[in-house]
Amino acid sequence: MAKEKKPVTRRDFLRGTLGTTLGASLMGSKFLQAGRMTAGGSVADPSLVTIVRDKGAMDANNSVSSDVLKAMLDETLTKFTGKPTAKDAWLSLVTPEDTIGLVPTPHLNPTHQEVVDAVKSSLIEAGIPDEKILGAQGGPDKPKACTALIGLPGLKAHWLTGIGTVMKLYILYSGSPRNYHDENNAKLGEIWNYPFVKGKTKLVLVDALHPLCDKGPQPDPRYKWPYNGLIAGTDPVAVETVCLRIIMEKRKAMRGEDWPLSPPPLCVEAADKVYGLGTSNWENIKVEHYGWDQDLLLG
Amino acid sequence: MLILVMVVLILGGFDLFKGTKLMQSKPILPKKVGMWTGPDSPQNVTAENIFDYMDGAGELYLAYRFDSLEVYEYRAQNQPEILVELYFMNTSDDAFGLLSLDWGGEPVKLDPASKGERNIDDSQWPQGLYGEGLLRLWSDNIYARVMATRETSESKKTVLTLGRLITKDRENPSPPELMEKLPDSFGLDWILRRGMASFFRSHLVLNSLYYLGHENMLELDLTSEGVTAPYERKDSSGDLQRIQFLLLDYANPERAENALAHFHRVYLAEHPPPEHSGFSQKVVNVFPIEDGWMGYRLKENTLAFVFECPDQETVRTTLEQIN
Repeated sequence: MAKEKKPVTRRDFLRGTLGTTLGASLMGSKFLQAGRMTAGGSVADPSLVTIVRDKGAMDANNSVSSDVLKAMLDETLTKFTGKPTAKDAWLSLVTPEDTIGLVPTPHLNPTHQEVVDAVKSSLIEAGIPDEKILGAQGGPDKPKACTALIGLPGLKAHWLTGIGTVMKLYILYSGSPRNYHDENNAKLGEIWNYPFVKGKTKLVLVDALHPLCDKGPQPDPRYKWPYNGLIAGTDPVAVETVCLRIIMEKRKAMRGEDWPLSPPPLCVEAADKVYGLGTSNWENIKVEHYGWDQDLLLG
Repeated sequence: MLILVMVVLILGGFDLFKGTKLMQSKPILPKKVGMWTGPDSPQNVTAENIFDYMDGAGELYLAYRFDSLEVYEYRAQNQPEILVELYFMNTSDDAFGLLSLDWGGEPVKLDPASKGERNIDDSQWPQGLYGEGLLRLWSDNIYARVMATRETSESKKTVLTLGRLITKDRENPSPPELMEKLPDSFGLDWILRRGMASFFRSHLVLNSLYYLGHENMLELDLTSEGVTAPYERKDSSGDLQRIQFLLLDYANPERAENALAHFHRVYLAEHPPPEHSGFSQKVVNVFPIEDGWMGYRLKENTLAFVFECPDQETVRTTLEQIN
């Protein structure tokens, strides 16, 4: 007889037993065997996440400076990969034979077009043919047409999923986005494991130029602020965890008191514990930051 | 006979959609407002295509009694675009509920001549709130968002002008009755955090205000209504303490009792469920849980909860104070 699904409640968070509850509710006993594994099945090293910021990335009208952004992107690529140039960095992540899909956030604090354009130009400069670089936000046909994906989410909170940045980026790939709202936001990670998505994400580059720290569901300019940053990593869960930290710290700073995200972002821990996509454990994340360091909001 | 049918339908409507319904003039926004020029006619959005217009944000409006949305885009040379969204809700309570989700921003008095059934005290529940280019307002059954993509002195003036045009000649009824059941204080020292008091109908919205659990364990839907707010006091060492109050009103006592049973089964599974109340009897229970004492009171079709209390006495005092 199948065990009745145990709903997640506030008390699970208070008890600190969310991991067990959530995992069991989604995966049954398989959860207990799951941990953070690499694609090869071994426990991974700490995940590197870089933050590059420049105070001049946007002007007083929040217009993006393409020159500053290009320099930030170059620095992100070289610092993250340890390669001497942006070209070398890209070629350590993708190949000229790849069909590369760029995946920006389409709604509610969408990714700046300047970020998408900068990434595309940089890839072309690295030797990737223009026609091999596609816009890949949309239905399941988009990732199916690509051999590599570059995630370009905008940093934001979300009223149904708590945070709506990295794990939610591929929600349209499911073909049924409403199935991942409410409690089912915990299952967002499963989309990353679809056969036509799994293993294709070569870099997650978060547009943190002008984030949104409250959940919407529609943009409210009072909750946006110029962070002027790019956040990068290849572990999507680690990148999301850093994004979550920044949003939480900003909310606390804005209100002068704890201001929890509600509902809590179940998708982050589930992506780690249930779907094995990366780590949500801060101790297993190595954050390196470069450039403007005022109000980094890393706690 | 026809008149009788119409009366029945109208009264039935009031019963189904508890909350004041007024026949009000529909705002017709001008094509020119200052330097800005709008469309010849608005874009119309319904429940059927709301997700095409705003992606998942549509869930919020469908969590209230949404009827339709009109969208106007105003443009001016060298000035930011101004987007006007008029959400037509089935009742005034629903429009108020949308505004009540965030009382932040600068209160704006939009219609000084407003004449509701009761006087509206704008210092308590503002009709409009402005901040950094965005005006949000409640005008009877309309919830509106008027947003400049960038704030300039000219855009602020035009945004506020548009707000006044929307509310012009429209009367505002009182806030939802349930909202007015929130006391200013519990006992002598627990004071209502007015800026965090909200009206809702759905567990999705409740979870965005105060998370209890993802399952709809309180069996909320468009026939129910709820308010929630924190109450705060300073303890003897000057630290702020907070409790969370939740008041729910169901269509009938049976639904309220079923909701409590469901909540109990999910949230208080280690405790025996409440006995059948016979609907007219009051049921009060108090429990220690992980973040303090919580309790509930069921009476007829109303369920009251209080969470995170420092002691049993606070729970009982709070629940006893609710009429």
